[in-house]
Amino acid sequence: MDLFLQQLVNGTVLGATYGLVALGYTMVYGIVQLINFAHGEIFMLGGFGALTTFLALPTGTPTAVLLPMMLLGGVIVSVTVAVLMERFAYRPLRGAPRLAPLITALGVSIALQELVRNFYPEAKSARNFPQLVDPNRQFSLGGDVTINAPSLLTVVVAVVGMVTLSTYVRRSRTGRAMQATAQDPDTARLMGINTDRLIVTAFVLGAALAAVAGVAQGLRFGQVDFRMGFLTGIKAFTAAVLGGIGNISGAVLGGFTLGLVEVMATQYAPEPFAGGAWKDAWAFVVLIIVLVFRPTGLLGERVAARA
Amino acid sequence: MNQAAFVRTRLQARFGPAAALIGLVGVLLLVVGCFLPWAGFAGFPGKMLNTAPGGSRLYVLLLALFGVLFRLDWPGRARALRGASTFALVITMLTVLFIAYAGGGLVNLGTGAYVALAGVVLYYLGAQSLPEDDVVAPVRELPDGRWRVLIETLLVVGVAVGALIIFVIGLGLPTASVADGPDHRLGGAISLNDLTNESQFLCFLLFVCGAMLALSRLGLVASVGAMTKKHSRVLVAAALMSAVVFPFTQGGNGYSLRIAASIGVFAAAAVGLNIVVGLAGLLDLGYIAFFGVGAYFAAIFSGSVTSVIDMHLPFGLVILLGAAISGVFGLLLGAPTLRLRGDYLAIVTLGFGEIFRITVNNLDGSAGPSLTNGPNGISNIPDLTLPGGFNFGENHLLFGVDLPFQANYYWLEIILIAVVMTAFLRLAESRIGRAWVAIREDEVAAAATGINTTRLKLLAFVLGATLAGAAGTVNAHVVKVAAPDSFTFMESALLLAAVILGGMGTVPGALLGATVLYLLPEKLRFLQDLRLLVFGIVLVLIMRLRPEGLVPSKRRAREFHEPGGGADALSAPPGHRGTA
Repeated sequence: MDLFLQQLVNGTVLGATYGLVALGYTMVYGIVQLINFAHGEIFMLGGFGALTTFLALPTGTPTAVLLPMMLLGGVIVSVTVAVLMERFAYRPLRGAPRLAPLITALGVSIALQELVRNFYPEAKSARNFPQLVDPNRQFSLGGDVTINAPSLLTVVVAVVGMVTLSTYVRRSRTGRAMQATAQDPDTARLMGINTDRLIVTAFVLGAALAAVAGVAQGLRFGQVDFRMGFLTGIKAFTAAVLGGIGNISGAVLGGFTLGLVEVMATQYAPEPFAGGAWKDAWAFVVLIIVLVFRPTGLLGERVAARA
Repeated sequence: MNQAAFVRTRLQARFGPAAALIGLVGVLLLVVGCFLPWAGFAGFPGKMLNTAPGGSRLYVLLLALFGVLFRLDWPGRARALRGASTFALVITMLTVLFIAYAGGGLVNLGTGAYVALAGVVLYYLGAQSLPEDDVVAPVRELPDGRWRVLIETLLVVGVAVGALIIFVIGLGLPTASVADGPDHRLGGAISLNDLTNESQFLCFLLFVCGAMLALSRLGLVASVGAMTKKHSRVLVAAALMSAVVFPFTQGGNGYSLRIAASIGVFAAAAVGLNIVVGLAGLLDLGYIAFFGVGAYFAAIFSGSVTSVIDMHLPFGLVILLGAAISGVFGLLLGAPTLRLRGDYLAIVTLGFGEIFRITVNNLDGSAGPSLTNGPNGISNIPDLTLPGGFNFGENHLLFGVDLPFQANYYWLEIILIAVVMTAFLRLAESRIGRAWVAIREDEVAAAATGINTTRLKLLAFVLGATLAGAAGTVNAHVVKVAAPDSFTFMESALLLAAVILGGMGTVPGALLGATVLYLLPEKLRFLQDLRLLVFGIVLVLIMRLRPEGLVPSKRRAREFHEPGGGADALSAPPGHRGTA
């Protein structure tokens, strides 16, 4: 039983990362119906932005200052890249058939990975990330079930981020404008909503959350890698689809579900298909099964009407 | 864009009346410069020393020939001249820079280089200052007469032969050799020695682009294109002939034949993917997995010593079974998911691609059942033998030419492409093909006209998977190995890029896209680590500047370039928004 509970905790931690990144996918998709493949790279850039900030600050800076500064650095890098990407790659293609922005996204994704690989110093293989939060510090959650400090931080940050975002989208004026645009962009524009600005807002919010996830990932594993955005990006998109794409609570639910499925399948799948080697395969198998039986995702009622 | 137009207006205002004169003087200087040596030392690739133009000088000279347009009043001439002169300028400047680099400074430039530089700048200025064209170049037709059909046929054959010649020249130009002397690197990544060695290929590529641009702005490309449509059988026959004789042009060079064979596999897969993406509009991001199913099937059942199953099926059976199994996978995956929206299909196919790669990576006996030899893959697939005792692994003497064994595989690829192409063309023209296009354009409207959209989409998907499986079985024999690394998401993305770069929904497009995408990394080694970066940026630029691809179908081009012809302002196709 302890093993199961422990895996439940591990799955939640994994799911928190997926959920944070998935929010960016789902918000952008909800408004412009674009699968922003490069969003995984925004997550990766968040990690590298934080690393750069760390290296730029003088050694001996107390962690209490360092950590927020790194977070801020990561967010600034991610948001800047996301805004530039929207402005120069996606906006000119608005009105083009659907495949065009998707392929652009693919190109942006490859280009961002390669930029980091070639031009970030020593980034051809994984770079060490400062372990500011001691991973050996374990918190007991009853019995033998434990969670280490960076993982706890990940979950806390993710929950705070998700709650803030969903409150913002539900309560604020901009948030309601976003919902209106997602429902019917033409009518929203007639009501005086500046859709261009809203789209940028969606990119900015998504990028900020992805950057937070990227920094958390770096703290948890002690390294950042130019490749880390690709698989996380695909899985976060999977999570968004799983929860019902375009739906903010859905992205969170999908993220946690996917994290749990991955961890549980690794542990409990019938031999020989258990173990780390198969965990990514299981994530996609679950995606296909969910889409077959519930094509609009777990919470995807609203989107269903549009299909 | 607007800035360039502004500068042009200023130039036109200042030099307008004298534009043709300036341009002609420039062209004359340029021609003279091309017959003088550009390099003051031996050793620079591409014959820069003597007086007979070769290498880049020849390309510049040919682009200079467009200068006669300064004296002719053809429609579209200003734009054509602008294109030709711009490319001539770029090629000249690049070549001069490379010579200066290779010779260790400007002192080693020959007199011709200075004359040509001066000429090309005037040529460029003259072309930029020409008044705008009044009319767009029309599609021309030959006058009626006894010789019309013959001339048209010859022109169409000329297109195929010309394509072969361009391909042979491009393939034959040297790639980076071992650098002598200290190498300098640009931005820490680009090797300048490699770049200098490959400058010929780069200049050749620029020349082809410039000439095609100028010709198309004169309306000649469209005119010949119309003729190829009229005589499509002649074109197909001529293209097939050109492809078949290609090995004889290589003088027993097995390496270039191997590259050509690999391009063939890549192109066959691209044409297959074009059915799925280009015709039916289904975004398949895991196409390489179907290719991989075929490849692994062939690898396992062809008597390789590294295969766990000791069975050697005849090649014909392997192709059929490999294609069929791949098709079954397509059916299993497509049947439940094709009723979903397009984006979901994209992610499901992506997921399938990943599952496939992970699975073949794991079936090594430790993480799973032993079948695929894990990350090492199945290697040493034996050479093909035909029942008559013909061994694909041996050199053969044909028409007095000793052909390396790679030629056998090359011809096998040609047959494969011919089959896939035939399938594509027959389908595209059929009732099924028209239904696919209707679904691609607007699924709701297509369903309303009585098309069974789910069944037809499934047909496209399964057919694409089957063709990929067949191509995969052949490829396993050509490269003699099947390993998980060859079936990553990046490969699927590359195939998709080939289809899109070439032009969705057309066969020449897919072939051209596959050739360019395969050949560029082979030929532009100087980019080294930056190749993928350049690839990503190029993908973005193509989508922005020419989203319909290099050889677009007419319908696609309209869809992308006419206001209101595409989707609404927020990029969703019309049918997907109606019930929001």
